[in-house]
Amino acid sequence: MARSVWKGPFVDGYLLKKADTSRASGRNEVIKIWARRSTIMPQFVGLTFGVHNGQKFIPVLVTENMVGHKFGEFSPTRTYYGHAADKKARR
Amino acid sequence: MVDRVCLGAVAGAHGVRGQVKVKPFTENPDDVAAYGPVEDERGDRRFKLSVTGRHKDTVIVRIDGVSDRNAAEALRGTRLYVARAVLPEPEEGAFYHADLIGLSVVSVGGETLGRVTSVHDFGAGDLVEYVDASGGQHMLPFTLAMVPEVDLAGGRMVVDPPEESPDEGPEDLAQDRAE
Repeated sequence: MARSVWKGPFVDGYLLKKADTSRASGRNEVIKIWARRSTIMPQFVGLTFGVHNGQKFIPVLVTENMVGHKFGEFSPTRTYYGHAADKKARR
Repeated sequence: MVDRVCLGAVAGAHGVRGQVKVKPFTENPDDVAAYGPVEDERGDRRFKLSVTGRHKDTVIVRIDGVSDRNAAEALRGTRLYVARAVLPEPEEGAFYHADLIGLSVVSVGGETLGRVTSVHDFGAGDLVEYVDASGGQHMLPFTLAMVPEVDLAGGRMVVDPPEESPDEGPEDLAQDRAE
């Protein structure tokens, strides 16, 4: 067994507590976190986290496809605004 | 809503036969030539483009009436625009960024919150960024739950922003380590 598999995914402990509290309260809220290094766990699906990028909190609505990735991947620290051109946003 | 959208910019000449390299701003790079003739920033020159290939992150384009390298070099830096009306109607539930930028942001209760400044996608779905009256920036996931209504004709977007959790700071992390 590979060492990384044996150790399991890393998640900051306080994040699990915050997620549990938010889910229990049933409120529609953004959970502010600094834990960019934490792995996205299946129990986070459906919650919205505000992931700090060093300057502000970027909202990250967790979906099933994001499980296994790190929170920091979805909150870039360098922003290139780009051009609108023919780009579309979908709801 | 804007009148024109910028599809790309001429990055330089390519070869000696008048072809140019265009830095595309479109979703699909080849679409710089997909919406018919383009015009420059001031709107006094029109160009008919045809894509002939790709080079790194640019598109190689032949422009009607440009047949030598000197003429191609002279176009360097030219931004290429088309009228917003030329773009096809987006599919159900989709909106052009160009249409969303500038909409006023109104809460479900009817309170004006600000104006949309940009739309991002960092990999976790589309995000709408708006600025409030005091200059504060806010971001919101572009989902049906948080943006229940987009009224392009009325120039407004109705939002239901989530509450923010208490700002406890990274000391949470220190506390977690201590445990």
